[in-house]
Amino acid sequence: MTRFLWLIRRELWEHRAAWILPAAIGGLLVLAASFGHIDVDIAGARPGPNALGGALLFGFGIVFLCAMLVYSSWYLLDCLNADRRDRSILFWKSLPIGDAQTVLAKLATGLVAIPLIYFAAADVTTLAIAFIVSLRARAWIGSALWHPGQWLQLQALWLYLIATLSIWLLPVAGWLLLVSASVRRAAVLWSLLPPLVAVWIERVFLGTNWFGRILVTRLVDGYPATAFHDLSGSLLGAFGFPSESPLAAPASVWELLAPLRFLASPSTWAGAVVGAALIGAAIRVRARTVDP
Amino acid sequence: MPPVIEARDLTKRYGSVLAVDHASFAVEPGRIVGLIGPNGAGKTSILRAVLGLTRYEGDVRVLGRDPWRERAALMRDVSFIPDAAVLPGWLRIDRAVDFVAAIHPHFRRDRTRTMLAKTQIPLDRRVRELSKGMRTQVHLALAMGIDAKLLVLDEPTLGLDLLARRAFYDLLVEDFMDESRTIVLTTHQVEEVENLLTDVLFVHRGRIVLDGSIAALATRFVALSVEPARLAEARALGPFYERRTLGRSVLYYEGADRAALAPLGELQAPDVADLFVAKLSGGAS
Repeated sequence: MTRFLWLIRRELWEHRAAWILPAAIGGLLVLAASFGHIDVDIAGARPGPNALGGALLFGFGIVFLCAMLVYSSWYLLDCLNADRRDRSILFWKSLPIGDAQTVLAKLATGLVAIPLIYFAAADVTTLAIAFIVSLRARAWIGSALWHPGQWLQLQALWLYLIATLSIWLLPVAGWLLLVSASVRRAAVLWSLLPPLVAVWIERVFLGTNWFGRILVTRLVDGYPATAFHDLSGSLLGAFGFPSESPLAAPASVWELLAPLRFLASPSTWAGAVVGAALIGAAIRVRARTVDP
Repeated sequence: MPPVIEARDLTKRYGSVLAVDHASFAVEPGRIVGLIGPNGAGKTSILRAVLGLTRYEGDVRVLGRDPWRERAALMRDVSFIPDAAVLPGWLRIDRAVDFVAAIHPHFRRDRTRTMLAKTQIPLDRRVRELSKGMRTQVHLALAMGIDAKLLVLDEPTLGLDLLARRAFYDLLVEDFMDESRTIVLTTHQVEEVENLLTDVLFVHRGRIVLDGSIAALATRFVALSVEPARLAEARALGPFYERRTLGRSVLYYEGADRAALAPLGELQAPDVADLFVAKLSGGAS
């Protein structure tokens, strides 16, 4: 286990952007909160103090989450490619580390370590901003941010997201690792082109859109539908936004999380199996390649 | 003791190109073996097969293991320096030491630290900030910290200046070598290593064309320097290679009767570089 942690540590030494980027985003947000104009009117409506605090927490969370998804994808696409480009693969392979261990450590870095860093950065940023805003504006804004229930909810939401997304996105991560291990250059292009071509071929020759739908489900609407109860507007509701949804906004995030449905969904595990196969393929390719 | 490396009919193809062609050889413990051949002869392919870095046909055993299937386990007892430029540029020297210490079961940090202390290399620098010679020193210090039974060096001094090369080989012999250890190194510059080697393996076009200890080669091969007047007689005794120097001819014989050769001219023990040239331009064609 300590060996595995050292391997992850090595990844973070190499990919310094994994922590520099979230630190920079946090820094900019804190800067904005320190010197920017604070406008309490959001979209004409004047939400209650609780809503404002919730909106801030939620908004920052989204910023960090999006940045994390983009960076993690980039990392997974680069991690088995970079050491072939600079030939350092020969150094790593001269150490008693199996190829499976190497690839799994990189997978864990992309799906767990980097998301946790972003989570920590989001937390620190919100705390700092809550403190600054409460000093600059009115005390009640700050106190809303400190609302312990909301704070706890955000922590739970992040951890739930990291846990479920890391399973849901296994096939995506596996594909990115396989591309990273296989191609010499233009990894971004190689990661996008084959799936798009496959969708196009299926449409032209079979007239169906089975694969395309699978991709959309995996990348866009499948995850929220599987891991959360009715999400339309109610997550915002949970953070105090006035919800247009006729459904009553749930009282808290807890009511939205659907871990049992997520774990019971065939879609979750079908994806995991495909992901495992792709990761296995990436390990095999990694064992065979030494040259860029 | 069983051989450290045993290869039987090792063959490596890249598509239709035959990089290694049924090479069979054994490396005994305690030897310093030079894998010698021109560029593109197949030296690196042989080393990669031995290290489990590539698939191959044939049977290879290294320290009793199958290198392709058991590379990670094998690397506990093998230390490998490919060439000067493979340490990643982003790695800090002190972290490199920490990492290898954490990962490698047979790593002795104190030895690496001592070796690094002898150099002028600041430990808080990244590899990319170092000169080529310093990078090699760092890599060598890391490799020397590993209590390896087998050290494999692939063109280790490529791109180093004369001073750095000399320092590299001195370090190798002084700090690493003892009877329980084995070194295999490739080079296309024979002169540089010939005083170091106990054994040579000549590789040419994927084949092993000569295999033996330096001592055995000295008895098996002989060079004869003759005046032009006796050249015809000398040629009649079957040399495999001939070259001309300063009005005399030097003829190379394998397994020849020295008593028959001696009256014709001056007998010499050919050095490895001579044999290399002779074998590759005469004997192997």
